[in-house]
Amino acid sequence: MEITITNLKKIYGTRTVLDIDAYTVRTGEILGLVGNNGAGKTTLFRLILDLLKADEGNVHIGDIEVSQSEAWKDTTGAYMDESFLIDYLTPEEYFYFVGKMCGLDKATVDERLIPYERFMNGEILGQKKLIRNLSAGNKQKTGILAALLNRPQLLILDEPFNFLDPSSQSALRHLLQAYNQETGATILVSSHNLTHTIEISTRIALLEHGRIIRDIAPINEEAQHELESYFEIRAEE
Amino acid sequence: MTHLFFDIRKLQKLDEKRSPMFEKNRFAKVMVYIGIAFWAAYLVLFGVLLPSAFSEGFPGMEPYHILNKGLLIVLTLDFLVRFLFPTPIQEVKPFLLLPVPKRKVMAALLLREAINPFNFFWLFFFVPFALLSVTRFYGLAGIVGYALGVWLLTVMNSYWSMLIRVLKRQRFIYICWCLPVYGLLALLEFLPDTHWVSTFTMNWGEGFILWNPFAFLGALTGIGLMGFINYKVQLRLIYNELSRVEDTKIKKISDYAFLDRYGNVGEYMRLELKMLFRNKSPRSQFWSLIVITVLFALALTFGLYEESGMNGFICLYCYCAFGLATLSQIMAIEGNYIDGLMVRRESVYNMLRAKYYVQCGMLAIPFIFCLVPVCNGEITLSMDLAYLFFTAGIIFPGMMQMAVYNDKTAPLNTGLMGKRQNNNVYQTVIVVASLTVPLLVNSGLELLLGTTGSYITMSALGLAGFLTHRLWINNIYTRFMARRYRNMEGFRNTR
Repeated sequence: MEITITNLKKIYGTRTVLDIDAYTVRTGEILGLVGNNGAGKTTLFRLILDLLKADEGNVHIGDIEVSQSEAWKDTTGAYMDESFLIDYLTPEEYFYFVGKMCGLDKATVDERLIPYERFMNGEILGQKKLIRNLSAGNKQKTGILAALLNRPQLLILDEPFNFLDPSSQSALRHLLQAYNQETGATILVSSHNLTHTIEISTRIALLEHGRIIRDIAPINEEAQHELESYFEIRAEE
Repeated sequence: MTHLFFDIRKLQKLDEKRSPMFEKNRFAKVMVYIGIAFWAAYLVLFGVLLPSAFSEGFPGMEPYHILNKGLLIVLTLDFLVRFLFPTPIQEVKPFLLLPVPKRKVMAALLLREAINPFNFFWLFFFVPFALLSVTRFYGLAGIVGYALGVWLLTVMNSYWSMLIRVLKRQRFIYICWCLPVYGLLALLEFLPDTHWVSTFTMNWGEGFILWNPFAFLGALTGIGLMGFINYKVQLRLIYNELSRVEDTKIKKISDYAFLDRYGNVGEYMRLELKMLFRNKSPRSQFWSLIVITVLFALALTFGLYEESGMNGFICLYCYCAFGLATLSQIMAIEGNYIDGLMVRRESVYNMLRAKYYVQCGMLAIPFIFCLVPVCNGEITLSMDLAYLFFTAGIIFPGMMQMAVYNDKTAPLNTGLMGKRQNNNVYQTVIVVASLTVPLLVNSGLELLLGTTGSYITMSALGLAGFLTHRLWINNIYTRFMARRYRNMEGFRNTR
């Protein structure tokens, strides 16, 4: 699923928080979106998901302009924050609810969750706990898994490694790579964790003050150095 | 300690002032002030009317003696009303990491409770009452003493109520701690030929009027004692409160499997029912409305209102109550997870349909309650059915228009007072219209077609509204989608 961004602008008051002339994410790519706080990563995701109104320009998912039709929702999965979760449901109920919205029966939902058992680590299903009573990490896992349920051709995850323990972060990394290879889906992931982003991405966009200032591909050692020097996290040799 | 007290007060005022719910909603502020003014006026009215009523009803006694005999009733009402307020232990958390001793923070919060403006609210009743009944014997001094005494009793009562509220938060069953106290008082009052409690409060009240130091000393001792118990208990329970997690494990997961056959709409109906019964605010609202509906149905059953117009209003209110409370706030709850809904196709359309069906289903409750006065012959079945259909087919569609305009998130698990005022001008218009238009329509139709004709027409209109629900819900959905960015921003800002 290709994403085409054309002349996209978002302005709050007098501040331009996002300004992208043209950018295309090709089908099957895993795009890592990096940038410091306030760079515009979340705003870009919200605009792609039609959760914000663009002041100028537009976003196309495939052939569909997101603000004009809802058809792209059938092939897109997303998790950004807790506002995606219905916290008075148990995780199972939430999965069944999302499944139903995507036309899946309970048996199919159960079947689709099986490959993610390692990621769930026995802490999500069968706990008889409402989502609001789960730990932040388990809420994050619930949201990510719900986004994957309908086998989307486009998966958008905003800072998915947040709140996860190291084992779960590793499991998520493998999960996303495997999903991309199996389905050929396009995946957009934003993260402050450079190591994970570099490991999973086939391409990285570096955002600064709402602009994509570097578009890095392929991801190799040179790219890693470039990013590290940008964020000044290389050892002060 | 003084600094801390004023700092906490300042923070609290800033919290109120800067709440996004308030900042963006001047109308809500005005509504709060109007609400306060309304209740104050109501109390003043009672304060003015009761002296003469008491004089006529109890010719051998002074009105203030009668009122003082019933002081405990007022204090019990006050005790109940305070269940809507939060307790200091719920507010202490942000201060615990500051380099200030916990006991000082708790003492400051308890002190703040003493000068809570609500403690003065009853004076809107007692002062006019005293002006008309106490002045002629004891002059201004008598009124001042009486007002001061009543205020002290209210403060004492606020600490007593707070103690029970704090205990209730630990385990609901602890609310029963108040039973021995009220039971003992009732026993002392109602043992044959005793009336010890009312006699005691009568003398206590008169003590305030006469500036008897023992009366004030008694009230101050009560305040000191209740304040001290609160201080000790709440300090001890701070860590329970901090580690408090509500419904960590749920005992029974309701499935509502019968809704499976209705597809996506059924799934949203299931969601609606879970929302209603798994969250504190909607759940308490639901049960309060059940109580109100029962009370109104009882009023109809026993022919409390002789006027047919008033009967019509009460019957209408029984049907509208649920809708008024929930549909006027439509989408406000969903504001908590609106982003998740909006990334799924037509989910809001299906949700609106589900909400409508659930609300229509809920009409069975007032219908059953209203059948009792129908059987009793107090209201006619045709009237009952007319208001039932009219509510489902005309009033609900009107209220559901709020889905387009509501853009503030309503918290799911906050008590009534912690919610902040969420009303906007559209909601008020819709609520007022819902309670008046049907009666006007009924009156107009009655003039034209007679009583039976009027009810038949109202039923027909209601049925037509119900049968065309897909059309108007689709219209609401289309308009909602046109306003979606504005609404979503509003929901995000008020979460």
